Amino acid sequence: MNIWMKTLTALAVALPLGMPAAAQDKVQVKFWTLKNPGMDEFIAGRVEAFEEANPGIEIIYEDFPNEAYKTAIQVALNGSEPPDAFYNWVGEDSSRFVREGLAMDISDYGTGPDGFQSLLSDGWLSSMRQDGGLYGVPLEAVSKFFYYNVPFFEEHDLKVPETFDDVVQMCRDIRAIDSNLVPLPLGNSERWKLIHWITMLNERIVGQEATSVDYSLSAPDDELFTNPGYVEAWEKVVELRDADCFEDAPNATAPELSYVMFSTQAAPMIYCGSWCAGIFDGDGFTDYAMFRMPPVEGGKGADGTNFVIIQGYQVSAKSKHPEETVKWLSFLVTPESGRGYAEAMSRVPSNPSGLEESESLTDSFKWIANDVASVTAPINVLDVLLDNNVSEAYLNAGVEVLNGSKTPQEAMDSVRQTALEVKNRQ
Amino acid sequence: MPQRPRTARSDGRLTYAAMLSPAIVLLSIFVFVPVALVLYGSLFRFGLTSAEWTFVGLSNYVRAMGDGVFWIALRNNIIIVVGSIVLQVGFGTLLAAVLDRGITVGNTVLRTIIFAPMVISSVAVGLIWLIILDPNVGPLVSLVKAMGLTPPRLGFLGDPSISIWVVLGIASWQYTGFMMVLILAGLQAVPKELYQAAALDGATGLRAFWHITLPAIRNILIVAVLITTVGGFKVFDLIFVTTGGGPANATQVLSTWIYFQAFNLGNTGYADAISVILLAIAVLLGWAQLKSSRRA
Amino acid sequence: MNTRRLNATTLVLYGFVGLMSLIVLLPVIYMIMAAFKTRTSMFVSPLALPESLSFETFERAWGVGVGGFMVNSLLVTFLSVVVIVIVSGMAAYALSQMRGWVGQAIYLMIVAGFAIPVQAVLVPVFQIMSGAGLLNSRLALVLPYAAYGIPFTVILFYAFFLDFPKELEEAARLDGCSRFQAFVRVILPLSGPAIASAAIFQSVFIWNEFILALLVLTRRGLKTLPVGILDLQGEFTSDWPAVLAGLTLATLPLLILFVLAQKYFVRSLAGLGK
Repeated sequence: MNIWMKTLTALAVALPLGMPAAAQDKVQVKFWTLKNPGMDEFIAGRVEAFEEANPGIEIIYEDFPNEAYKTAIQVALNGSEPPDAFYNWVGEDSSRFVREGLAMDISDYGTGPDGFQSLLSDGWLSSMRQDGGLYGVPLEAVSKFFYYNVPFFEEHDLKVPETFDDVVQMCRDIRAIDSNLVPLPLGNSERWKLIHWITMLNERIVGQEATSVDYSLSAPDDELFTNPGYVEAWEKVVELRDADCFEDAPNATAPELSYVMFSTQAAPMIYCGSWCAGIFDGDGFTDYAMFRMPPVEGGKGADGTNFVIIQGYQVSAKSKHPEETVKWLSFLVTPESGRGYAEAMSRVPSNPSGLEESESLTDSFKWIANDVASVTAPINVLDVLLDNNVSEAYLNAGVEVLNGSKTPQEAMDSVRQTALEVKNRQ
Repeated sequence: MPQRPRTARSDGRLTYAAMLSPAIVLLSIFVFVPVALVLYGSLFRFGLTSAEWTFVGLSNYVRAMGDGVFWIALRNNIIIVVGSIVLQVGFGTLLAAVLDRGITVGNTVLRTIIFAPMVISSVAVGLIWLIILDPNVGPLVSLVKAMGLTPPRLGFLGDPSISIWVVLGIASWQYTGFMMVLILAGLQAVPKELYQAAALDGATGLRAFWHITLPAIRNILIVAVLITTVGGFKVFDLIFVTTGGGPANATQVLSTWIYFQAFNLGNTGYADAISVILLAIAVLLGWAQLKSSRRA
Repeated sequence: MNTRRLNATTLVLYGFVGLMSLIVLLPVIYMIMAAFKTRTSMFVSPLALPESLSFETFERAWGVGVGGFMVNSLLVTFLSVVVIVIVSGMAAYALSQMRGWVGQAIYLMIVAGFAIPVQAVLVPVFQIMSGAGLLNSRLALVLPYAAYGIPFTVILFYAFFLDFPKELEEAARLDGCSRFQAFVRVILPLSGPAIASAAIFQSVFIWNEFILALLVLTRRGLKTLPVGILDLQGEFTSDWPAVLAGLTLATLPLLILFVLAQKYFVRSLAGLGK
């Protein structure tokens, strides 16, 4: 189809530009991951151990900040030298790469006793299955909770909220105690924080069964995103805003700042990812406990569900060394690696079998690991499930609802309109 | 002039061709071939990672006409261009005039200070201002509150009605000194006799500035406007770092919208169409500037 | 002349320039000052002075590799500027000597290149780099930077060479120099001001370039300063003093260099308008 494109590119490339490639006696595995606090040391340590055990393989690893990563990986996979293995969010991001033939089916690799297919449970592996193939190695699960300041709650005789309305009321109570306290800091400058809220509100109000046909755009045109529950979910956000739950100008506040508000006790509560526990501990604040997003009265959500995102690594379809690559990825999910990952990052690894041997894991981490294991149905985050264009509309709708420049109804109208456009373009 | 033998002439041509070729090769690979690829790609629907290209004719352009954000981005580019000309070239001219003839002591120090932000990378500038303007820890909010005023409820960069102006302010903070230095050089080249002659006719101060200075630096002002206009359509880093085009696309400009469509949303063909529009604007502006500087 | 009125005017003028200087200075001063603060004090009292002069944040920021970023930026900037000056110098000289429509057409083509922003052709430029296997090599920045620096520099040199006395070149040719030799031995040595102008102007732009560097260099050891300092945010998630310390380390050396050499900076940039 794009033969002209290719000819032009080839012409440009044929001009003397290339550099002599250095002779390689080792197999090089190029590995891309996300930059997270503690990740660098963890990977560096693992690379060293792996290369010592496998002298014929060299791991070249590069890490990226969250915002830059999505761009970099798309561009690189399209180029001639993509990484052999790369980090991805399981959902629309990972399955689009499968659909477009950029991710490799690794069913035939990693089947030995040290292979990831033996090391990980079927439940975890199923998150990477698609159309009968296996397209990645899950690394970890991320969940989301309300964290609260235990001494503060005890001092002011506050009780853990049992319904969503209790949460809204609690914001008013906390402002009444001290109006300078921010009850539930948001930090929405990157827009995904509010999307995590709305993901769970949609589940609690609309229910997973009904949302899934909308998220996959498979609902008929006249029903797509018309469930009144979506509007109600945004109305809950407006209720939170009007009850003064959030800080000033949440759309201009960095997510990191909301973490600091909680760990410096300027905020007695926060709705935060399972990764936040490690951040709070690192800041020297450990007097917290957690609870899940409570149900919304009259909502259709199921008990026992919670926000769970699986993240892991895929292998590029263009990789010349899939065997060595999968060997490395399998090494990242051994019991020892899983334990190291949990200790370095306070995040829940896909292979929990080594966790019991650890002496340094905190009680809050163990609570999170247990809670994630007990989730009946994982709720994947909306912007990972949706088509990019629709998720973009949802992200912007969040900003506008917070700013008050769109009503909940107008917000859903814009989402529905974009969803229809995308659906009919397909 | 003696008649040169034919061989010398063809030797000349060959030499000139050889001297020109590196520039032509580099420009072809990195400027002209990519332009051709963008023109071609704008007629297709495809994503950065997709193997299938679907020919869609001009529908990417039709889509741009109906895309509200495209118009916001274009409007923002115009705001930045016009705003930069007013603020950077305007204040740059005033500052240059003051430093040239208005004051005599401390010129170098003041000039050095005002020019300094130019050598700071715009990513660093963006990050510094991001912290200064932060609604919770930023010093500016505290300062505004200490003065008894109310800072914008949604934050300086979070309020869609002011955020593009705030970005314009940051850009002007960085580049006004550059314009000042450029224009100052032009002023210093104006012969002093002109001012003396004018003074005899009674033209001093502002009148001298208006009747002598401005006409004398007309060419340099055109260069300043040219650099500012081109810069205004190229603006990317500052917006990428400070607002990322938000809140809700309120600060998108054409270049960030192209980047966003191509690399984040996977609408590469559509991004190519916007690129072509940006190219057309840029070429048109370049042509207009060329005409006006020729006439001068 | 009325001295009192003159004094008042001078005062107003100083006030104006002084205010502008203050607006420029305050953010820079704040950056340096807040780098010494603690995270909590920054949060609780944003305007207060730091409690102590500890360089701990600077040590942490340096650990991210600010020094390496700076070396990379220097290398890339230096190489690009050398290529730009040589290639543009040759081209502009040839064009200034050529008569007829071919030279005119080529000149116009190069000028047209000036109007094209790299943001508009990012995807194909990237694909070409990637196709040539140049990702994560400095060449992948130097070559496009050079290409995008050529048009403006050619315009600058072309104007300079047109004003050049023809007799000098003719004399060199009569002494048996070829055209190219005449260019290297006679024209270039006398083009110092134009070269300095072009070099400094391009350096400032290349030093600041962000978007290509962001896409082309992904390996940490190769990153240039603008891309590298963006990582500070990811590295110190909520540690603003450390981010500001990193920014201070990244910007202060160049600021100092600029203050020391400002005369040359200013003189060279001034040459642009001529």
